[in-house]
Formats: sequence, structure tokens, C-alpha cells
Amino acid sequence: MDSHKEAQPKGDFECQLCGLTAPYSYYGQKPPNTHSVVLLEESYVMKDPFVPDKDKFLILGSQCSLCNRRVCVGTECSLFYSKRFCLPCVNENLQEFPLEIRQDLDKRKSHSKSHPSKKADART
Amino acid sequence: MPSSEKERRAQRRSRDPSPSRGHRGGRWDWSSAETRGRLEELYFREQDYIRAGSEDSRQFWAFFERLQLFQTLKAEGEPALRAPPARADPSAAPGLAGLPQEYDPRYRINLSVLSGEVEGLARGRSRGPRRGPGVPAERLSQFRAALLHYLDFAQKQSFAKLAKLQRERAALPIAQYRDRLLRAVAQNQVVVVAGDTGCGKSTQVPQYLLAAGYSHVACTQPRRIACISLAKRVGFESLHRYGAEVGYQIRFESTRSPATKIVFLTEGLLLRHVQREPALPGYQVLIADEVHERHLHSDFLLGVLRRLLPARPDLKLVLMSATINIRLFAGYFGGAPVVQVPGRLFPITVVYQPIPQEEAAASGKPERLDPRPYLRVLQAIDHKYPPEERGDLLVFLSGVAEIGAVLEAAQAYATHTQRWVVLPLHSTLSIAEQDKVFDMPPPGVRKCIVSTNIAETSVTIDGVRFVLDSGKVKELSYDPQAKLQRLQEFWISRASAEQRKGRAGRTGPGVCYRLYAESDYDAFAPYPVPEIQRVALDALVLQMKSMGLGDPRTFPFLEPPPQSSLETAVRYLREQGALDGAESLTPIGSLLAQLPVDVVIGKMLVLGALFGLAGPVLTVAAALSVQSPFLRPTRTNPDCATARRPLESPHGDPLTLLNTFNEWVQVKSERAGGSRKWCRRRGLEEHRLYEAANLRRQFQELLRDHGLLGAVQGPRDSSARQSRHRERRELHHLRRRHEETEGRKRKVLKLQGGETGSSSDEGAGAGRAGPPGVDIQDVKFKLRHNVDELQAAAGTALSSHQLALLKLVLCRGLYPQLAAPDQYNSCRKDSDQIFHTKNKQGIVLHPTCIFAGSPELLQTTEEKAEPGRSRGSQEGLGSRHQLLAFVSLLETNKPYLVNCLRAPALPALLLFSRALDTSADCTRLVADSWLELCVLDSEAALRLLSTALQLRAAWEGLLNRQLEGRRGEPGRGPDLREVATLRQRLLEFLQHKVQYSLRRLTALEKQNLYVGPQTVAAAPGLPGLFQGAEMTPDEEKGGYRVTEFLTYNCLTSDTDLYSDCLRSFWTCPHCALYMPFTPLERMNHESSCRPQPQEAPPEEAAESPAKATALQRPYHCDACERDFMFTSTEILRHRKQHQ
Repeated sequence: MDSHKEAQPKGDFECQLCGLTAPYSYYGQKPPNTHSVVLLEESYVMKDPFVPDKDKFLILGSQCSLCNRRVCVGTECSLFYSKRFCLPCVNENLQEFPLEIRQDLDKRKSHSKSHPSKKADART
Repeated sequence: MPSSEKERRAQRRSRDPSPSRGHRGGRWDWSSAETRGRLEELYFREQDYIRAGSEDSRQFWAFFERLQLFQTLKAEGEPALRAPPARADPSAAPGLAGLPQEYDPRYRINLSVLSGEVEGLARGRSRGPRRGPGVPAERLSQFRAALLHYLDFAQKQSFAKLAKLQRERAALPIAQYRDRLLRAVAQNQVVVVAGDTGCGKSTQVPQYLLAAGYSHVACTQPRRIACISLAKRVGFESLHRYGAEVGYQIRFESTRSPATKIVFLTEGLLLRHVQREPALPGYQVLIADEVHERHLHSDFLLGVLRRLLPARPDLKLVLMSATINIRLFAGYFGGAPVVQVPGRLFPITVVYQPIPQEEAAASGKPERLDPRPYLRVLQAIDHKYPPEERGDLLVFLSGVAEIGAVLEAAQAYATHTQRWVVLPLHSTLSIAEQDKVFDMPPPGVRKCIVSTNIAETSVTIDGVRFVLDSGKVKELSYDPQAKLQRLQEFWISRASAEQRKGRAGRTGPGVCYRLYAESDYDAFAPYPVPEIQRVALDALVLQMKSMGLGDPRTFPFLEPPPQSSLETAVRYLREQGALDGAESLTPIGSLLAQLPVDVVIGKMLVLGALFGLAGPVLTVAAALSVQSPFLRPTRTNPDCATARRPLESPHGDPLTLLNTFNEWVQVKSERAGGSRKWCRRRGLEEHRLYEAANLRRQFQELLRDHGLLGAVQGPRDSSARQSRHRERRELHHLRRRHEETEGRKRKVLKLQGGETGSSSDEGAGAGRAGPPGVDIQDVKFKLRHNVDELQAAAGTALSSHQLALLKLVLCRGLYPQLAAPDQYNSCRKDSDQIFHTKNKQGIVLHPTCIFAGSPELLQTTEEKAEPGRSRGSQEGLGSRHQLLAFVSLLETNKPYLVNCLRAPALPALLLFSRALDTSADCTRLVADSWLELCVLDSEAALRLLSTALQLRAAWEGLLNRQLEGRRGEPGRGPDLREVATLRQRLLEFLQHKVQYSLRRLTALEKQNLYVGPQTVAAAPGLPGLFQGAEMTPDEEKGGYRVTEFLTYNCLTSDTDLYSDCLRSFWTCPHCALYMPFTPLERMNHESSCRPQPQEAPPEEAAESPAKATALQRPYHCDACERDFMFTSTEILRHRKQHQ
């Protein structure tokens, strides 16, 4: 009853790549009631709807540090490597990223090709 | 995966020396409780994101172990392949300039844990000496890294769930129709959405409407459970975007608040809203879900809404239905547009396997179901499908007996093959037993769920791959003539058959075995018979009347009910006094219309309130309105029967229920949580007692709202208030904790071993969910009810007077639902006792009835006690004849009386009969044209009759004043002294001992019961028989109509041709007038001579006349142990009575 007061939704976050939409209640680096945890980027945050504890938060997404597009944290839309990058920007500047990240992207690409049905629905 | 396996591995790991443990000294042990405790003290403090001891911290440590294992394996597997640092390209975007050149996984984590304070603590500076050595910095950073990974992992996990949820929503068939639906709603007042199972209409349509900007949406459901689960699901799917804006409202629970934008509620509840506010001003959109199920309330609601729509042009109505009979609904609403959505079911193979003729014929007893065809299907599945391919079997049978038969055989087969776990499912099982069907079978074993049609719509079980359909259903049908409910077996409809089949294709392709031929299927009715055409319509008609819907006979129903049902209902309501002669609501009728219960039970409540018996009557009414808490005895369980015995009341089942409820409340208030065990030992389903408690409270509030019950008194002093407040806070806390850990974990079912007994009973229902030791139902109960108040009501034992009055009140409520014992019952076996009602003969007692086990309670034992007194000629003479008042009549293989109460026959009939017909000397009385009472002594007969007349008038008067005065006007309520007088006189009336016989009239006698209209000119030269009441010749029966219910001297008889002019000497006990009287004159004199009842002092009203004469003197009768003022003649007469 009293929980909805503190987590008034501020608006809807929508990923400009995949269209994922969810209401966020905070934008910034220090979500309320998170104590010693800080975020390393300005993020759209909601209360984690999947755990009963009302202090737990969920980061939905943030702006790409290169193109400023609003993107979700899903691995098919963006990655974090000291800053947020949307995948189109990463692919444009692939050589700037360490090998581990490039390998990771390759692996993911081949993986999603072998299971196209699982991820295709809403995320293209 | 079995958790023990995991634990063992974790242990092994902690014992193994691994590179991740400290090399120096090898003392560092991550898994030691001490180490963990120290780290938790540093990082998992009360104000931290993760708290020590929480579920979260446990998960962290589990994650920590996995992470270490992973890192170890990785370190062993690949010799650190150092990648060349990425070359900083000067042409790259400036945003990329600061990227760390050397890769570290922690750069990929977008959060951090502040550490300043923590570092200081780790060195033990700011802590006391007890802390011991700090944590080495290296360990600390290892721990911190792990913590970050854990937080990142938790984020990824939750985000994945979010993404999956949205993907799934988008993939539902209805998603493609979203825009079309919204357009249709915008352009039309009524829209029909037709879609089959799995299309997502129930969860999505409300969300689409909300997102499109509609608010004040109500979505009706036929089942309470669906309201709760849909509200939860929609709240969850919308990520609580609407927070408190998604709610539900069912009979005893509501999460509704002013912020609520959409509420899921039962059809019945929305109808109650209409009753209060006919235009439903609080709603903008109404969604009626599952209208194809054609429940009584659903059909009626549609009728009400159709009338409402023109008055509310801004109101939108969305009907949702399976793709069944869509034209009916669209047509009813003037050709409303239909949005048809395909369902999402996997392909299902249908196998027709009719039972061979010769087998069906050879099975002998037709009542006993032959389980062989069912076993063959189990065998076929075992042969055809390897056990590794999972998939359970759902068997549809018609009833509990059939389930028992198949269960027994299937269990024997399961014991033999070890490949099945067989579980029953029907509504009379305990909730815990029902819940078992959701448990998982062990690998290689299938569940076989043997169910009634409850699994067709109400209960959805995942993982079913095979359906076995008997094609039969048992349904209550209603016989309006006998007012009898009949549970009969029918073939199902094609729609039901398809619904059953569909249960096999929810999670994958399935198989449906039908134990009938395809030609049978084709011959089935297309749809089930709508409820409105097969149930009693009393409550419906009452509700229609109170909604001002006019004559129910002309109401434009979706499909009208049979005219005879409506007629019966109207007549019944008139008989019960809820409607008057012009079929409009009486005061009591309008009150009854607001009670969501059977009319008879509502009447009990009103009557009980008058005599200060509200407490017990509330309990009885509530307990009779829920399913019986007594579980059917699982075979013969002597322990359970013994434990139940002290609860049983010799007066009848309603009082047994009262005892049970009261005892349960006592147990609850004495030892919290002990009630669960207490119930289990007595074979009681506690859930139903909780329901009864809720219902009781609702009745109480309703009676209060109507001024029939005084207001509650809260605890007076402030300390009691405070302690109550504290207690409530604690309970709230417990409930919240429970809700946080909610979500019942699925258990793995045990394979039934050597013993063939049904699924193991012990421990069922115990410790299912929630923190250990907390009975969440108990917590909720204590939050909802004032236990002290309940206990106070339950704790006071009823005095014998109160008990007698309570029985009278219950009996008046139940009237005319009376049954008389067959005259030869004393020569019958205990189990073969037969009873008759006015319209139905040869009824037996339901096996759960107390009198079924102890029929001696109904015997009139006094003849045996005084053998010398039987007068030979008049057989069946006695003073204690009993009738049974019953709550319902149910016909299955036999007609049964359900929930019986015994009542003294003569007083009950004199006080309650709608029609009392007498002979000239009033020794022969016929009640409601079917029961004949012959009183030996005409004197006594007259006295009783005239007392009964006065009592009835007084009672009726008080009741009317109570109902009129209930609007809170002071001074209009019944006078308490009058009530006390009436109580007293009723009790005295019950104690009169008169010798009489009780007999059911034969059909022939019924035909020739009355003398018929006579040509006698006028009343026999007498003023009115009773004050004010005019005696008019009765034009049908003959004789004279004295009151609405009493007709004097209309019975045919060959002995009393002259009796109405035969005078005999008589002394009036009031004025001592001594002269010859005819019976009629005597009655007339007595009633006019009698002092006004309210003027008499309450205690002695009946015995001592106000005007004592010199002739009278005190007389104590030893035989009846009472004191009288008698003249000598009266004494003689009185003594004679006892001889």
C-alpha cells in the first residue's frame, strides 16, 4: 500500500533499437534506497518487479555515449565497457574495443543465428 | 536438480586446496562461517543493498561458490591468453578516447559499491577489540569483485525476465488484434471478443484498454480465484506500472482503492453494485469475461446491462467468450461487432474408444463404474510412449464415486508398474489434497489426475499431454415442482468435449482418448444447458425485484428460463413472506434481497436478531452457507469419528456446525496455529471454517447496517486498545513476510509404494508455504476478525431456553422445509429410516446427518418408559413427535435430506403452518393439507390453538416493528419488554405436554379433506371468534376462516356432525365464568377474556390470570411440576389430563 508512493513512475522508457518499453521511476546514478551502490552511468531505473523487496532496483537502459540514442541494457542492443555503447556504434568502431569484447560479439552473433526463433520476436 | 548433490559438491570444493584460497598459511577459508560472518558484517549491514541473513545473501554465497569454481576452471583450462591491447585509432570518435586499453571484466559492469567506510572497518580501526584480525586487502578486493559480479548478474537476470515477458506478450495471438479491438471499442458501445483458450484475451484486453487511456474498467469473472490471479498477472505483466491501479474484489477480499483503474470482480459482485447504484456511475468500461460459460449471474448481468446501456451512452461493454455461440451474444446486443481471435493450442489427436457393448452390459451393477476401459488407456500410453517423454494424463469422470472406482483400479496398476502417480481431484477434497495435482511426478513417472469437470475450466494443470474423457458429467438439475435439486449424470455437450480435449494441448501436441463413439459425439448437444435453465431462481427473482426490474416473467433474458421455474420462485418467495400478494417486496423481502444467501438462511438471521440470538444464528447461517467443513470419511476412520463425537449435537446438524465452529474459535484463541492440527484430527477442512468466519462477519455487518444489531463495542481502555494495535502490527508484519516469500514451491510427488492406500494423508497441508511455524491462514484470520469478540460469542454456552428458542428460530427460518418420519420407522434398520415431505416421499437421511447415525434421537421414547399408558386404540399417541426441518433436498442415486434439525411437531406446526384446518372440537388439526394431528383432549387442543394464535400475532407484530424500526428511528423498534414476554410464552408453549398422534394424510384423504362450501347463512350467532378477526365462511374449504392461516371446522368427519352445537360446561380460567359452551364459543370467550399479553408481567403471563377469583387457589401439580391458580373443578380436570 505504502510502496507505490515512493516509486511513482516518471514516464516510459523506450529502447530506440528494440522498442522495449517499461515505466521508469528514476533517472540518474544514485537510485533511491540503494545505499552503498552507485551506477557508473546515468541510467533509467525502475523498482525490480521480479523481487518482492521494494528496495531492489532494475536498470533498464541509458544513452549511448557516442550517438546519444536511448538504448536498453539488453545484449542485443548495447554493451557496457566503462561507458554505454549501442551495438550499431560498437560495430562501427569495432577495432577500438579489446579482443575479448570482439570475441564476445562474434560468439553472440553465431549463437543468435543458430537459435533465431528464440530472440527474434520483439527485438528486431 | 537435487539440492543435496549441489551441497556435496560445494563441500568437496571447500575441502580441495584451490588456487583461490590463500597460499600463505592456507588458513583462509571462504566457506567458514566465521569468514563469511565477518564479511557480511562489513558489507551486508542493515543499511546495505544486501542484508546479512537475507535470502539475497544466501544467493550471493551460492553465486560466490559458482564464481570461484568457474574462475578455477578457467585458470586451469586456458593459460592466460593475453590479448594485444586495442590500438587507439586517432580517427575514432572522441568518445572512445578514454576506453581502458587492458581488458578487465569489471569494466563491463555498470555499477559500483562504495567502499571508503568499509576499508576503514576492515583494518579494525573503528571497531572494538572483539573483532579480531581484519580481512586481508587481497581477500577484500576478491570479495568486492565477486559482489559486483553478483549485482551485475542479478541485473541481467531480472532484465532477461523483463525482455522475455514482453516478448511473450507480443507473441500472444490477441496482440495482432490490438488495434482492431481498440478501434472497435472506440466506435461501438458493445464489442464481442471471441477467442479460444490461450489467445490471451483475459490478460491482455484490460491492459490494452488501460494503455489506450480508458480508466474505471471493471472485468467480471465467473470464479473468485480467477479475479485474484488475473489481478496479480496483469499487475505483474504491466510491471506494476499501474501500481495500486490494478485490483480485485471478491466476496471477502478487496485490494480496491480510489486509485484503482481496473478491478477484477465476480459477476455476483458487479450485480450487487448495480443493486446499489443502478447506473453504475463508477465505471467507464465493463468487460464481461467467459460469458459463454452461461452462469446464472453472467446471463442475468448481461440482461441488466442491456437495459442499462441506453441510459449510459458513454459506457463501453466488451463481452469476451470462447468461440462458442457468438451469434447469440452479438445478436442480443443488436448485432455488436465481433473481433475473432484464433486460439493457441497445439495439435491434438483424437482417439475414439467407445466401451464395447458386451462389456458395458456385463459390468453388472449399473451404479458401479467399470474401471477397465480406463486402465486400458493407461496401458496404451505405457506401451506407446517411452517414459522419458514427459506428459501427464487427465481423466474426466462424472462424480466422486466414479473417481473412487477408477482411482482404486489405477492405483493398483500404478503399484504394479511403478510408472504412475494417481491423484483424485474434486471440490470436496481438502485444499491440500487438491493442491497435490500441481506437484511434479518423479522422472520417468506420469501423473494420472482423475477429476470431475472442475478441471475443465476452474483448475488448469500444466504438463497434461493426454486426456481421457468419459463423456459424462453430473449436474445439478432443479425440479421446481418438488423444489428438489437432483444430481444426475448426463452426456456432456460438444463444447465441453472440445474444452476437455483442449486441456491436452496447452504445452505441446497431445492426445485425447474419448470413451464414446464419434457418432455419440455428433449426437451431443452443441452447448451445455445454461445454468438459468436448471437451477432454483428464488434468489434471482428476489434480486430482480429489489432492482426494480419489474415482472420477472417479462424480463428480456438472453435465453429465458422455463416459465415454471419463475412461477415456483415467485410462489416460494410469497410463501416465505418476501413478496406480498401483489408480488412486491415486503420489508423482510427487501432485507433478504441484500443478503447474499438463500432466503431461508436470511430469514433465520432476521428472526435470530429479534430474540438476542444473533451470535449463534450468525454462526449457523454462515456455516450452512459454505460447503460442509466435514470431509467425507476416508474409509472408516474410527479415530476421526471418535474425535468428532463431542461436537455432534443431538438436536441436529445446524447445531453440530455451531458447536464445531465455536470449538474451533476456542482452539484458535487458546493456541495459535494449533487449529490446523485440531481440524485434521477431526476430518475437518479448515478452509471452510475460515470461509464461514468471513461470511459470519459479512452477515454481522449487514445486520448492523440495517439496524438489526447493535454497534460493536471496541475495547474500552486505552491499554487494551494499544495491545490490540501492537498485535495487529505484528500480524501485518508476518503477513508481509509471508507475501514476500510466497509462491508455493512445487514438490516432487512420491511414488506410491506397496500400500495401496490413497495418497498419503499425513502431513498434507502442513508447512506448505511461508516461514516455518507460521500458519498464514491463522494470521489472516486474526487480522480480519476480532478474535476476542468471536471467542466471547463462541465461549458462552447456550442455556436450555436459548437452545430451545434457537431451534425454534431456525425452524421458522427453514419452514416449510419439513419432513415427517415414516410411521414404520421404528421397525426399520437404522440406516433405512424413511421420511416424507409434502411433495416428495421416501427420502432418506444424508449419511453425514447426525440422525443417520443415531436414529433413536427421533424416536418418541416415552411409550416405552410408561408401558401401562398406551390406550390400545389410538396407536402412535405421544407427546414428543418430531419433525425434521432441513436445509436442502438433494437427489443423487436416492433423494437425501441434507442438514437436518429436529423440531417438536405440534408446536412447530401450530406456530408455522401456512394453513391450519380444524374439526369442530379442534381435536383434529391438519397442517398445510398434509399432516394430521389428533389431540386426545379437546380442552388441551383448544388451549394450545388459542395460545398459538396469540403467539403468532405477537411474534409477527414484533418482527414487523423490528423491520420498520430498523432505519434507526428511535422508539420505533420492538419494545424489549414485549420481546421478553414473547420469549417466555414461546418457551412455555414448547413445554406443553399433550398426547397426540401425528400422521401423514393419504392421497385419498387429501382429496376428501374438506367439507366444502356450505349453505350455512352466517357465523353461528357469535361475534367474531377473536378480537377484531372476522369469521367468514370459507368458500373453498367450508367452515369458517378465522385468520389468514386458520380455518375452523372445515374438515370432513363422520363423528362431529353435531359437535359445533354441542355445549359442555366449562369454567373460564381467567374470569371463572362457568357455563355451557360450544368449542367455538369457548375459544371466542377465552381470547376476549384473556388480558392483553403486553400488560401481563412477563414471567407469569401464561399461567396466572390477572383477575384471580375467590374460587381459585394455588395448586401445585406434581406430575408436570408447575404451579397454577385453579378452581376445584379445574384441578380435577388438570389431574385427569395426567392419567
